[in-house]
Amino acid sequence: MIQEKSFLKRLVSNMDWYLVSAVCVLMGISFTFIYSAGANYGMSFRYLSVQMLASGIGLVGLLLLASFNYQYYKHLDKLVYAVSITLLISVLIFGSVKKGTKGWFDFGFISFQPVEIAKIMYILVLSSFLDTKAKESKRVSLLVIVFAIFLSHLFLIMMQPDFSSTLSYFPVTLVLLYIIGVEPFYLLCIAIVGALSTGIPLLRTFFEMQLKISQNEAFLTNLAMFFRNGYTTIYVIVAVLALIMSCWWLLWKLKIKISIIYPVVLCTVIVLGCTSSIFVEKSLKDYQRRRLVVFLNPKVDPRGSGYNIIQSRIAIGSGRFLGKGFRKGTQTQLGFLPEQHTDFIFSVIGEEGGWILSQLTLLFYFLFIWRALVIAKEARDRYGSLVATGIATMFAFYAVINIGMVTGMMPVTGMPLLLLSYGGSSILSSLCAIGILCSINMRRHIYN
Amino acid sequence: MVWQREDRFAYENFLEKHRIILVFFILLFVCLSAKLFYLQIIKGNKYKAISEQQILHNTNERAPRGIIYSSDNDILVDNEFAYIALYYPPDGHKKISEEILKDIEHMLGREIKPKTDKSNKYGEVLKLADNLTKEEMFKIREQSIRLKGVSVAREPRRVYPLAEASGHITGYTSEINLEELEELSEQGYNPGDYIGRCGIEQTYDTYLQGKNGGWQVEVNARGYRVKAAKYIAPEIGASIYSTINTKLQRTAYDALENSDTGKGAAVVLNTRTGAVLALVSCPGFDTNKIRYKEFDKYFKDKNLPLFNRALQALYPPGSIFKVITFAAAVEVLDINPLEKVLCTGKFELGDRFYTCWYKHGHGMLDLIHATAQSCNIYFYQLGLKLGVKNLEQYSKKFYLGRKTGIDLPNEKSGFVPNPEWKKSKQKMKWLQGDTVIFAIGQGGLWVTPLQMAYMMSLIANKGVCNKPYSVERIVDVNGEELYRHKHEGEEKIELSERTWSLLHTALLKTVDYGTGKRCKLKDIKVAGKTGTAQNPHGKDHAWFISYAPADNPEIALAVIVEHGGGGGINAVPIGRKIYEAYFNINPDIEDNKESAR
Repeated sequence: MIQEKSFLKRLVSNMDWYLVSAVCVLMGISFTFIYSAGANYGMSFRYLSVQMLASGIGLVGLLLLASFNYQYYKHLDKLVYAVSITLLISVLIFGSVKKGTKGWFDFGFISFQPVEIAKIMYILVLSSFLDTKAKESKRVSLLVIVFAIFLSHLFLIMMQPDFSSTLSYFPVTLVLLYIIGVEPFYLLCIAIVGALSTGIPLLRTFFEMQLKISQNEAFLTNLAMFFRNGYTTIYVIVAVLALIMSCWWLLWKLKIKISIIYPVVLCTVIVLGCTSSIFVEKSLKDYQRRRLVVFLNPKVDPRGSGYNIIQSRIAIGSGRFLGKGFRKGTQTQLGFLPEQHTDFIFSVIGEEGGWILSQLTLLFYFLFIWRALVIAKEARDRYGSLVATGIATMFAFYAVINIGMVTGMMPVTGMPLLLLSYGGSSILSSLCAIGILCSINMRRHIYN
Repeated sequence: MVWQREDRFAYENFLEKHRIILVFFILLFVCLSAKLFYLQIIKGNKYKAISEQQILHNTNERAPRGIIYSSDNDILVDNEFAYIALYYPPDGHKKISEEILKDIEHMLGREIKPKTDKSNKYGEVLKLADNLTKEEMFKIREQSIRLKGVSVAREPRRVYPLAEASGHITGYTSEINLEELEELSEQGYNPGDYIGRCGIEQTYDTYLQGKNGGWQVEVNARGYRVKAAKYIAPEIGASIYSTINTKLQRTAYDALENSDTGKGAAVVLNTRTGAVLALVSCPGFDTNKIRYKEFDKYFKDKNLPLFNRALQALYPPGSIFKVITFAAAVEVLDINPLEKVLCTGKFELGDRFYTCWYKHGHGMLDLIHATAQSCNIYFYQLGLKLGVKNLEQYSKKFYLGRKTGIDLPNEKSGFVPNPEWKKSKQKMKWLQGDTVIFAIGQGGLWVTPLQMAYMMSLIANKGVCNKPYSVERIVDVNGEELYRHKHEGEEKIELSERTWSLLHTALLKTVDYGTGKRCKLKDIKVAGKTGTAQNPHGKDHAWFISYAPADNPEIALAVIVEHGGGGGINAVPIGRKIYEAYFNINPDIEDNKESAR
């Protein structure tokens, strides 16, 4: 039914050109600054060519996936899930190790990171599952299955171990569950578990670091001593639980009827979060914990874990309004900026391009996410909407966490800035995800 | 628009949540945008400054200090360049390898303790060895391929040609310590700088300090040089033209060193200007040895070689104080100089006997002879007649008990006693016996050799004050004069002409046939006074103060030989040697054979 000529016509007329042009601008900026950042390592040309090659393959993938009807993914959801699991397992068996992470298929001339593709497959699988079970959104059984899917991916990625890649799973899962109509209270509970289990060990690490440099600050010292003692932590938890229950009891007496389930679940969640914090504390290495909290005050360790944030802030700040000019940034070209072609590419843009260019980059990035959300709104079925929202969420959180990191607002997690950072697998999978977005967009008017 | 195969309600439900998600994302991006605005626009200049500062690194090249010249066109303090071995760690190695360390130790034949160079921002450069000889330097250069990262640099250091003889007047330099740094950092002193200690080096340190230079280089994140921005040549400090005469300085030092005890001090002043021609304290110390272990022995030496006796040591003046008693007596009592007094060798006051140094007694003496023979009995009586008030007043008139104000550090002021002092300190009444011994310069009276030389210069000038000073002028590297000694306002001790001429006659006679006759020179008239100061610590101190030529004074001097015994025998020959050096007289041995007494 679809003929070659009419297909091309359809492609051109139905393509979301705002989206595509925003992506193209971002890729242009990416090429420019990867070239600039590579100069410090003497690898400008190599980095640029690898990135361009990967982008080329990615664009082909984009067109292919755009022309492929996304609805087939829903029918093939079990296959997609199986493939993603197979990829993640096989990389654990056959993969090669880079920077302590066994997450790469090495093909000699080029290497590939399957977790990048698995992320998108996860969105497809989860959307498909939620779409079919939309009517049962109030049931706990739905949550259980979702968590089974979620944990299977999480566990395999943690085996590599690749901590930063798992981060995007959390917001995507939460947002999709929220859209499908899961009670926000449960989502809040999940968020509390997550926050407690990572927050407690990290805060403890932070106070210990702070303690080392400021012996005379009574308040912080007390706080640190407080957290160090295991028993006091338990007392605090018990006190919080008692507070919640008494609040509920008080409200009950005031004739404000709230089901007993809520406070009980809340208490359970807090206990669960605190318990799991012990496991998180054990699984994270000391340097990782430090790196995650040092953004709160990089000066506690300016030569060690705080170095990256300090140098990145100097790079961005010193760009001022107009920037230092292409390949003229001292922070970048003299190597003060760490990981400048990958995770800290935005600092290079900030330094050499100044406020103008970094704001422009941010604007185009937002334009891109906004278009993705518009596609989600205009999709012809719930599955399309879910997939598009999932993809938009993934891009948005990557951007927020990365730019938050380079400006010193968020922990140094090692998440790249999708579409901008150097990395073949990352750009390839990003473009494939955009291909799926295009596919959803192109089929918004088809009725059957 | 609706989702196909779904009810409208589900889609509207979705739209509502979709809107919330969109608003949430907008909020997040606005936060990021605001943070960028804060970093780049509000704090931009601050970060720009940090980024510029962290790529610049200055290598410090120490500037040589200024040269100090003597008044006879000789050099008192010079510079030479020493070689030091440094270690720049190659690529990432912070620690020096044992192999290289052993190699160098073997090569130089001494133990090496690497020291970090504080002036280096990265703290990576290690100082391996100081004071390399030329041979050692070439050895290291030859082996430079094997010794990776080791290099040899040039560093200026001080040379003192007169060594011990000039140690106290020139002073020495050493590295600034932490306490001084805290105090002086505002004046531009940096860690690792050398500052002057003692003498001219200390007083005129700010002039002598040159401007440090070095390379300003751009470095990358690891601290390696990317490119050199500019080189600033170090600038030598200003030259100082001091008033010291090397010939007199050396003569005085040698004479003191060869005296009986080898301890003492000598000060020679130009009476017309106040210029210090020589300032010697014996034993001295070799300022060239400051860099070596040997220097420590000076700190332990019981003879206190680091102690500048000419300015800091307080001695009882003894008989040389009779000069002041003399002046006071003529001025206040208006005594008849020809009136004779009997000296029996003893003087009775209350229940005590005060003796003359000549036990048999001088017999009948008038004022001039009493001074020439330094008769104690005569001056006891003068003292009693004058009273303590007059003695105190005249002592202070001749600048005793206060600093002369010489431009050298750590000068002591000495002390003039009075009844109030004795009452408060010793809880005893001032007795007439105290007045009696005050008149011959004993008992609570403390003076420095410099004060005595100054006193002599005042007498030679008939009271005109020419404050002692050691630096004539300072000229910077461009030939611009930064400082010239200015003769301060005409201060004068007002005494009658009669007093001055009587005093001059008395002092002339002292050398002519009295206690100072060992200093009698053929062509030049010398006026002076000897002293033998009793002191509680041992043998008497030998004093000699004088000026010459008596009819038209040029120089005044004060010599003390610590525990040297009689002034006439021990101190006077040293004065004579100084005069011989100053007036270029060949020592005439015949003249010298007679006894002083």
